[in-house]
Amino acid sequence: MLRSDRLLAYAMILPVVIAVVAFVVGPTYNVATLSLTQVVMGQERGFGTLGNFRALAADPVFGLVLQNTAIWILGGTFLCVTVGLGVGTFLAIDSRMTGWLRALILLPWVLPDVVTAMAWKWMLHGQVGILGQTLQSSGLTEGTVSFLGDPDLVMWMLVIVLIWRKMPLVALILCAAIRSVPDDQLEAARMDGANAVERFRFVTLPNIAFSLTAVTVISMIWITAEFALPWIMTGGGPANASQIMATYIYQQSFEFFNWGVASAMSVINLFMLATIVALYLYVNRRSWASEESK
Amino acid sequence: MGSVALRNIRKSYGPVEVLHGIDLDIQDGEFTVLVGPSGCGKSTLLRSIAGLETITGGDICIDETVINSLAPKERNIAMVFQNYALYPHMSVAKNMGFSLRLAKESPSEINRKVNAAAEILDLTNLLDRYPRQLSGGQRQRVAMGRAIVRDPKVFLFDEPLSNLDAKLRVQMRSEIKELHQRLKTTTVYVTHDQIEAMTMADRIVVMRGGQVEQIGTPLELYDRPASVFVAGFIGSPSMNFIAATARDDGLLLDTDESLGKTPVALANGRGVIAGFRPEDIRLSDTGVSAKVALIEPTGAETQLVLRTGENSIVMTTRDRISLSPGDPVHFSISEGKLHCFDAESERALSGAV
Repeated sequence: MLRSDRLLAYAMILPVVIAVVAFVVGPTYNVATLSLTQVVMGQERGFGTLGNFRALAADPVFGLVLQNTAIWILGGTFLCVTVGLGVGTFLAIDSRMTGWLRALILLPWVLPDVVTAMAWKWMLHGQVGILGQTLQSSGLTEGTVSFLGDPDLVMWMLVIVLIWRKMPLVALILCAAIRSVPDDQLEAARMDGANAVERFRFVTLPNIAFSLTAVTVISMIWITAEFALPWIMTGGGPANASQIMATYIYQQSFEFFNWGVASAMSVINLFMLATIVALYLYVNRRSWASEESK
Repeated sequence: MGSVALRNIRKSYGPVEVLHGIDLDIQDGEFTVLVGPSGCGKSTLLRSIAGLETITGGDICIDETVINSLAPKERNIAMVFQNYALYPHMSVAKNMGFSLRLAKESPSEINRKVNAAAEILDLTNLLDRYPRQLSGGQRQRVAMGRAIVRDPKVFLFDEPLSNLDAKLRVQMRSEIKELHQRLKTTTVYVTHDQIEAMTMADRIVVMRGGQVEQIGTPLELYDRPASVFVAGFIGSPSMNFIAATARDDGLLLDTDESLGKTPVALANGRGVIAGFRPEDIRLSDTGVSAKVALIEPTGAETQLVLRTGENSIVMTTRDRISLSPGDPVHFSISEGKLHCFDAESERALSGAV
C-alpha cells in the first residue's frame, strides 16, 4: 500500500521532471558542452578544449564587455531597487493622488521592449532627439548632446532607460510590502520616540526585508537577461562602448557564428549570476534584517 | 508625578463626531479603566492621550501642562498595544531598549534599565529570544517591559489582554495590577470586558457612544449605577430590568404583584424601569409568582431563569436547588436592593447621583 503510494507520487511528478530536464537541464548541458567545443564558422571542430575561454581572455573587447556588464547589472539593479524603494515609499502614502499614480506607474512596464527602445532611441538621438534639442534651446548646453553616441555617456543612458522601464514594478511590489507593515509597530515606534527616518530604518525596512531581497534578486536576473533594449538602442556601439554580455553573446553567435565563444560567455554569465545571487541570499539571511549584525 | 486632565475632548472624522466632549480627571498614581462596548470611543480617547490621534477640540493636560500639540514621544507616555506590536526582528532586550537607544542613552545605561525591567517582569531568561519564540503571555510582558524601561509619567493600555486565552487573561490581569501597585505609575487602561474593569480599576469610566456615562469606583458603579446602561453593563450576569408602576410606596408589575418598596418617593402611577441584580433575588413563599424556565448549575452557584408573564428574570443562588424546569416558584428582592430608572431617559431615580 505504502509502496504503491510512493510510486504513484513519483509518477505524478514525472511530467514536471521531464519538462525541467528537457527545457532547463538539456539546453544548459548543450551550452556547456558547446563552450568546450572548437567551432569555426558554425562548424564543430573537436570537443574538449578550453580554446574558447582562452580566446575570450585574449579578446580586448571582452574586458570592456565585463566592465559594461558590471555597470549594467550592478548599477542597474542598485538604482532600480533604490529608486523603486523611494517611489514605493511615496506611493505607500494614502491619498487620492497616489491611488491614481499606483495605476499609472505601470505604464512603462506594459509597453513592448521594442517600442520603448525605439522611442528612447529617437528621444536621445544626437541631431533630432527631443531631449538634446530641449537642452540646446533652453541654453543649458551649447550644442545638442549625442547621448547614445558618447562612449562615456552611453552606458549610463542605457541604465537610465532600463530603470525607467523596470523600476515601476519594483516600486509597486515594495509599495505593497510597505503598506502591509503593521500599523501598530509603527505606532509603537512613534511612542518609543522614533522620527520618520528612524521608523523607516528600524521598522519598515526590516519588515520588508524579504520583499526587498526578492525584488533585488529578480531585478538582477531580469536585467541580466535584458537584451532587446540595449541591442535596439545602440547595438553595442559606439565602438563596443555599450557592448554588454547579452549583446556580445548575440553578436558572437548570430553575426560572427562563433558558437563556441558565445557559449563560453554564456557559461561565465551563468556562473557570475549564480554566484551573485547565492552571495546575496547568504548575506541577507545572515544579517541585516535581524538587527543582530551590531 | 503624572496626573492627567481631559477637558471637553472632541474628535471628529470628517463630519462624524466620535467623541462628544469628554471631561476626565485622573489623579497621579491612579489606575483608571475606560470601559464600554465596541465603538464607544474608548480606544480613540486613549490614542488621543497618546498623541497617535489629533483631537478636534478640547485640552489634554499632563501635570497641568497642555500637551495637545506635542508629538507622542514628547508626552512622556508609554503605551501597550492590543497586538503587542513588538518589533519582530529585534530580540526581547532590543525591543525593550529601543526607546532608550533612540534617546541616545549609553549602552551600559540601556543594559541596566532593561535588566531592571526584565527582573520585574520575570523576563531575564528570555532577553535573547525573538518575539516569534515567545508565547502570548510572554509577548505581553515584553510589551509591558518596553513601557516600563522608559519610566513614563503615564501608562496606556489598549485592550492588552484580549488576545490571550481565558486562563492567561486572569493571570495577566493580576500581574498588571500587581505591577501597578509596585510602580505606582498613573495608568489608563481600555477594555470592553467589565470584569477586567471591575477587578483592576481604582476608578472606572463607563463610556457609551462617545460620551462618559458614569465615573466611579467599581463598587460605586455596581451599587449605584447612574443609568440602565451602566447597570446592565457592569455585573455578570447582568441586572434584570422590568417595567413597573409606582403605587403608594411599592413598585407593581403589570400583574399587580409587588416587587418591593420604591427606593425613592415617586408619584402614584408613574411608570419606571425597575432593576435588580440576580444575586439579590430570593426564592420565597410569598412575592412575585413565576415559573422556572432553565436551571444552569456552575458549581459554586446556580443560575436560574425565571419567567413571569413576558419577562425573563435571571437569578443566582449559592444554595443547591432541587427544582426542575416548569416548577412554579415565588421570588422577592432583598431589602434596599431595588433600583429605579426613569422610563424615558433611563437615568437612575435613586442610588447614585
